[in-house]
Amino acid sequence: MKKDLLALSVLVFLLIALFSGTRIQSVEDYYLTHIDDIQKDSETVFLTVRCDSVFAHWEDLDPVLAEGSYLPQDGIVLARTEYVLRPGDTVYDILNRAMRYNKIPMECAYSIGYESVYVQGIHHLYEFSCGELSGWMYQVNGVFPNYGCSRFELSDKDEIVWIYTCDLGRDIGAGGGWQR
Amino acid sequence: MKYFDRLHPLPAFVYFLMILLLTMFTSHPVAVGISYFSALFFCGMLLGVKKLFASLAYTLPITLLIALANPLFVHRGETILFFLNDNPVTLEAILYGVQSAFMIMAVFYWCRNYSRVMTSDKFIYLFGRILPKLSLIFSLSLAFLPKLKRKYREIDRAQKALGFYAGKSRFDKVRAKMRVLSILLTNSLESAVTTADSMRARGYGLKGRSSFALYRVTPADMAFLAATLLAGSALVVMLFFGVGDFHYYPAMSKLSWSPLFSCFVLIFALLAFLPTASEIREDLLWHRLRSKI
Repeated sequence: MKKDLLALSVLVFLLIALFSGTRIQSVEDYYLTHIDDIQKDSETVFLTVRCDSVFAHWEDLDPVLAEGSYLPQDGIVLARTEYVLRPGDTVYDILNRAMRYNKIPMECAYSIGYESVYVQGIHHLYEFSCGELSGWMYQVNGVFPNYGCSRFELSDKDEIVWIYTCDLGRDIGAGGGWQR
Repeated sequence: MKYFDRLHPLPAFVYFLMILLLTMFTSHPVAVGISYFSALFFCGMLLGVKKLFASLAYTLPITLLIALANPLFVHRGETILFFLNDNPVTLEAILYGVQSAFMIMAVFYWCRNYSRVMTSDKFIYLFGRILPKLSLIFSLSLAFLPKLKRKYREIDRAQKALGFYAGKSRFDKVRAKMRVLSILLTNSLESAVTTADSMRARGYGLKGRSSFALYRVTPADMAFLAATLLAGSALVVMLFFGVGDFHYYPAMSKLSWSPLFSCFVLIFALLAFLPTASEIREDLLWHRLRSKI
């Protein structure tokens, strides 16, 4: 009987650990994020998200996305907007806050090999949605850093652009190989 | 099982191959539903309704589990229900999970029907000449699970008779079952070696060795084969041209009944319910003939 109690308590402990780790939020709660107001002395960055390269590779695009009204007409998911930079903010933090604030769906995954967050899709446009060389890339001050977006720490007045590529970056001017 | 007992192994094999492939490659929920229910009906005809419900008691929870696993890993879709640890749980992902769960269960029940109809002697009759080694291994491994179940019960009873389950604690019971499993594993490994030796000693697969089986191709068999091939190839062509296309992300496509799609559903239903219908027809025939005497 003692052994039974032991096994039962281990099971209960595991269940508690599982449920204490999960947090359920309603859609309204999730999108109710706080964006800092821009003060005179606050540090800021600019963020743009666009996918106009899709129009040049329309024949490769997933037919579901091509038929439906999922893509913005002009290819601009988020026009250039100024956001307050909190100390230690990375490119990912800014993107996540902006997408949440504007209620644009986004999906990303943490990749252990690169020790960074990888953005899989923004606004229903995912990696591989437009040919097998397609996906989201980011640019800071006109340069493609070619490493994970949650490892890039931003500084004042940085210019971030997230661009959708259909050809591994070659169609949007990002040559060169990958850096870890 | 009256009709499929007398059916030639070749049409039966082709039929199961066809329905399994079609079930796995359709993406339309209506087709998956038809395949699932026809597999259940046929299973009911073969094993009896009681056994069917007994198996549903454990396959339905598994179906639910598979359906709920998908939204945990896939976050695509338009309709967000709630957020779980900052990840959206979407209606589309849940629905896709439900469809894939039923697809897996349809395949499970078709395989179950397959193993009931295509006994190992039928399989070896079909492939013994062409692929003697592979067909033997295949039929041995298919017979493995029921044999294992039987053997497990045997060992379990022997252990009980030896007085090994004396402990009241559940923990001890689990440990005793583990011992039974380990015995079972050793036993089955040994029996596999013995079977292979015994088959070799009997000259299985040697040149000039003949075998006898009482299967004769009748016109009815040919008709069954022709119907299967005709319907199956029509469906494959339709699938190739995108008739049964259905997608879930980012939004679920609408159920639209174009004439071509209705045609697809009709042919699929005819093909899927063919075995059940044949069995029912045979049953009715048998009753009618008996009442005349």
